[in-house]
Amino acid sequence: MFQSFRHSMTWLHTWFGLTLGYVLMVCFFFGSLSVFDREIDRWALPDTRFPAQPAPSFDQVLKPIYAKLKPHPVDLAATRARVIGELPDPATLPMSSLYYYTTHRDPVLAIGAEFDVPNKPRDAADEHQHVHGWATLDPRTGAFLSEGQLKLGSEFFYPMHYSLHLNWQNLGYWVVGLAALVMLAALVSGVVLHKKIFREFFTFRPWKRTQRSSLDLHNLSGIAGLPFHFFFAFTGLVIFASIYLPLAETLLAPLHKQHEAMEAARTGLAHEAAGVPAPLASVDAMVAEAKRRWAARNMPGEVGYLYINHLGDKNGYVSIFRAGNDQVALVGQGVHFEASSGRVIREDPPPSAVMSVNEFLTGLHLQHFRHWLLRWLYVLGGLLGCVCIATGFIFFVEKRKAQHAKRGSMGSRAVDALAVAAVTGMVIAAVAMLAANRALPADLAGKGGWEEKVFWGAWLLSFIHAAARSGPVAQGRINPAWREQCWALAALAVAAVVLNWIGTGDHLVKTLFTSTYWPVAGLDLSLLAAAAIAVFAGRKLARHERHARPSTHAAPNISEALHG
Amino acid sequence: MAEPIWLYQAGAAAASVVGFAWLSLAMDAHWHQVHGGTTPARAVRATLRALGTASLLASALLCFAADRPSMAVLVWLMLLAGSAPLIALTLAFRPRLLRAAWPWGDRIARGR
Repeated sequence: MFQSFRHSMTWLHTWFGLTLGYVLMVCFFFGSLSVFDREIDRWALPDTRFPAQPAPSFDQVLKPIYAKLKPHPVDLAATRARVIGELPDPATLPMSSLYYYTTHRDPVLAIGAEFDVPNKPRDAADEHQHVHGWATLDPRTGAFLSEGQLKLGSEFFYPMHYSLHLNWQNLGYWVVGLAALVMLAALVSGVVLHKKIFREFFTFRPWKRTQRSSLDLHNLSGIAGLPFHFFFAFTGLVIFASIYLPLAETLLAPLHKQHEAMEAARTGLAHEAAGVPAPLASVDAMVAEAKRRWAARNMPGEVGYLYINHLGDKNGYVSIFRAGNDQVALVGQGVHFEASSGRVIREDPPPSAVMSVNEFLTGLHLQHFRHWLLRWLYVLGGLLGCVCIATGFIFFVEKRKAQHAKRGSMGSRAVDALAVAAVTGMVIAAVAMLAANRALPADLAGKGGWEEKVFWGAWLLSFIHAAARSGPVAQGRINPAWREQCWALAALAVAAVVLNWIGTGDHLVKTLFTSTYWPVAGLDLSLLAAAAIAVFAGRKLARHERHARPSTHAAPNISEALHG
Repeated sequence: MAEPIWLYQAGAAAASVVGFAWLSLAMDAHWHQVHGGTTPARAVRATLRALGTASLLASALLCFAADRPSMAVLVWLMLLAGSAPLIALTLAFRPRLLRAAWPWGDRIARGR
């Protein structure tokens, strides 16, 4: 089919990159934002702008709060569709398990619980039917955060990067998984293509014509970030392996069930409830004992994840995991207690080699550790990925637009409009969402829904604008939408910072100097940096367009005219 | 306790940037950008390569001094990923700045 191995690699790199590059762009950009998802939450919800808190006392503070936690209406509706008969009054459903989860960056505490339902499932394979309830609370007062407010960072930008918010049939996960797989292929084929990988390691020639300089930047960002790109695509696939290959639920289901039962017998953590009621001993005492054991192992730390199973039953147990602030693994060093007595049932042994590798790979991607330098380096890695993909698009268009212009083909016009929407349009959508978050009143009903509409609306507008302005591409020139959207982005980013100042009084002098609050200061500074880069790019593009214009009448070869 | 770790990390970052600066100067095209119309003498090129390699290794050692190994590997790889484009951008826009890494370009050129 191809003349040589390199030809086949070129074909694969070009066409796979072009078709799934748009998805990868989303993954990399929103993945970069996810590094600071909790900080974006603080910016978006001014009520939560206070220092990170360790989890409060379970016995004194949390126990009465869990008593108030009810099944969530969304999950009630979903469960109603899966069971036979009408569900009983949700207020009467017994809570069978509960959890909380927190990190060193969370002032608020995420809690949740499972409630048993007596109904039989419609599908017999659907064994355990529960309704879930969840909430976020201010651990200083125990007050729930109001519903309808969207945590922009952790509830919108973060899921965007792995599910695209396409939740129907988990379609988004599959598209992203496919894109990640393709990206691994694109990386390998890219290395094969790039003959002078070491000789051109530091080569970036912005003064050459756009086709050459965009290829320079494509190679540079691709090679420098190669380990990062490879590991993030790969570990992303590892994290969702059970979605892509659901063996435990399908082929190997009987074996999986047997394994669960054997695991329960081995660890002493009961798989099933005994059906005999029992009280809950002091959880605070168990937390204290777990912390003592971590300190004895020379790993002092706070609780990251606490889970109580079989609540109010003789077989109930409390599992307490240490927050992985100082390690790559997310949580670990679990200590498990008998719920009724507070007796230690089991302390997790050090993980096996296979488990360590798995924890390292998933922790590497999910990065809940305390290491601000590495967090920023991850943002850099993600943005390098964006640069690599964006310059790939530009190279594609630059290489073909002169030929397409001669032939009258619309191909490069369409690719260029999509590229504008994938680069400036995507950033505009995210920044517009932040600006909307500050412009809309806090008590607006369904505020989160409006913010999402602004996000998708802004993105759609950017695409329409890019398509409408793409005429010059058909003549081999630059699409002015690139420049215009740079200006729009700069204006929106400054507006978001100003709106935050007006709405909350948290301006940069305050958040940086008088009462330092890095989550808000960091996002404001990042927005201003984005505005500065957009202005820089906008001015460069304007100069390019001016240079290009006079020569188009005379010279048909635009790529040379651009720099002639 | 917190301060030396911060210093190690800053040192690791600096070592990786300087290391790539030296490695880039060992290449004719980049030496030309920084020092004008000359090429480095063979001995100079070998020295620059050795210095560059040693500096990147020193950066790794500083990373391992600052963090536990599993984390240090990540920090080091990401520092490399950040430093190489930084040097490439410097070469593209402000090549003269890299004279600071090896100021003796002109004199050797004149001496030949």
